Amino acid sequence: MKDERKSPLKIALHGMDGRNYKMMVMYLQGPCKGAAVVEDLNAEVDMIDADSVQAKKLLEQKLAESARPIIALSLQELTFENILYVKKPVKTDDLLFALSEAGTMLSAKKKPSHQVSSYPENATTRQSQESIDQTESRLSSEKNQVKKQAANTNEQKKTSKHQTAMQLDEGKFNAYIGSVPGLDVNDPKQFPDAVYNPKDYFQGYVQSALMVAETKKQVMHLNSGWKPLIIFPHNHDIWLDADDKQLRAFAGVAMNKISGPGMTLTPADPSATSIQGGLEKFHDKDAFVWKLAVWTSKGRYPSALDIHRPVFLRHWPNFTRLVITPHALRISALLMESPRTLPEIAQVLNIKPQYVFVFISAAYALGLIGQTKREADEIFQPSVIKKSEQQSLLSRIIGKLRANKS
Amino acid sequence: MSQYKIIFTGPVGAGKTTAIESISDIPPIKTDASASDMTKTKKASTTVAMDYGIMNLAGGEKIHLYGTPGQERFDFMWDILITGGIGLILLLDNTRADPFQDMKFFLDSFQKFIAETNVAIGVTQMDLSNKPTINDYHIQLQGMGIKPPVFSVDARVKNDVSLLVQSLLYSLDPGIEA
Repeated sequence: MKDERKSPLKIALHGMDGRNYKMMVMYLQGPCKGAAVVEDLNAEVDMIDADSVQAKKLLEQKLAESARPIIALSLQELTFENILYVKKPVKTDDLLFALSEAGTMLSAKKKPSHQVSSYPENATTRQSQESIDQTESRLSSEKNQVKKQAANTNEQKKTSKHQTAMQLDEGKFNAYIGSVPGLDVNDPKQFPDAVYNPKDYFQGYVQSALMVAETKKQVMHLNSGWKPLIIFPHNHDIWLDADDKQLRAFAGVAMNKISGPGMTLTPADPSATSIQGGLEKFHDKDAFVWKLAVWTSKGRYPSALDIHRPVFLRHWPNFTRLVITPHALRISALLMESPRTLPEIAQVLNIKPQYVFVFISAAYALGLIGQTKREADEIFQPSVIKKSEQQSLLSRIIGKLRANKS
Repeated sequence: MSQYKIIFTGPVGAGKTTAIESISDIPPIKTDASASDMTKTKKASTTVAMDYGIMNLAGGEKIHLYGTPGQERFDFMWDILITGGIGLILLLDNTRADPFQDMKFFLDSFQKFIAETNVAIGVTQMDLSNKPTINDYHIQLQGMGIKPPVFSVDARVKNDVSLLVQSLLYSLDPGIEA
């Protein structure tokens, strides 16, 4: 049976570990030309490794929730109705036939009721591995072509999402970040007042909405009475119909008791024309939350943190895709060595506390900051850092790199 | 005058040559040859000895940027290249079948050098293949007991490569002031 579709069949993969997932992506883009792996949200067909641990649950869920054709790959004969079955080791002809069937069903808007297999039932795991090895060999020869195809995807058109980081120096900081009138966050006496609660701002509502969308795995629209914001939990994207200048201004406005409860979260239609036409308005979720926290903080730190207890950094932020506040790389490197209190970070690095507070606010919003509870972490705080013998040289390299940034 | 080096390593096609080109003050000296092995499926030519670039610092000092050849059969050269190195930049191609295996291979191969200096990891081609994610890399690294910087990197973009190198240097000494 031939599927006459002109556009690639969009397939979501389920129940595959990283290696198998990647292999199947390449296999579908190579030998099975005409099929493309997409996020679950955008898929027309589900492909499930029916031998995976969670396969039963996945199959039941997909059968119950989705009207999409399902292709199940398994070493065992499957007897599910409404599922296209491809026996492992997967052969190109079988898979192509299943894809063609799925395409035809999509065209006809009907569900399948038959199996696709021409292989002996005594297939073994060893055969499966051999098949994978052969496939891998074929795949490498088609990789260049695959990359060219992939280069034309919408993902690359999401220019905001993949743009390189903006590195702020101290001179640009106040103009870019803003400040809180009447508060000197760099005055130790005012540290207790240099706090903010993200829940009182747009940041808190966005973070809350993200949690809901990710838990439900559903595209959601945050209705704030401001600009439309849509969350795509499957590929960690946020779509906002506003530029950075507008977002920066809105981020700093405290939500009062009237506007706050007015915010609602509703399921959204990802295929809406306005979204599809605005690929440059997509942001990576982490990069968006990071800059939102930076602009909400204005040099303050989150009220949930005790300024007298050391904080630790779980891992380095992905700095090449984030707004880099002054000294953020130094603060990260220091915290990766050992936990420290916020004033101590400023003291050891000889920098203004506002640079520490704003970095901590952004990293905290991404869940990268934790606060120590063990006494040992406080007792053994080194007050100075070990100076490298090559510090002067390293400093000049950094100076050169920063001067040359493009 | 001392020889100061930063070493770029990683599998074939990860962007080592391009990354060096991004921050070098001279057109990098490439030792490419037409690929005749499995590499030819990925690109027409590949580095068979090493790439070389220079960063000229104020005061006349030079930082030598060396890129190792990607193919494992040239690994005998790695020990020679790393002698006197300031640190290691590891670039990984996210479109390869198993980037974690690549990461483990290179971290194991340069284990002693990394212990003496430090490493920063750049993941390239993430706009073509967004899985594994940067978080997935951190989870893998946690199991290996190290916590280096891991950034998405477009090797053609000077700022990306610059930030990766900066993170390596700050890891060596957070007290550096530019």
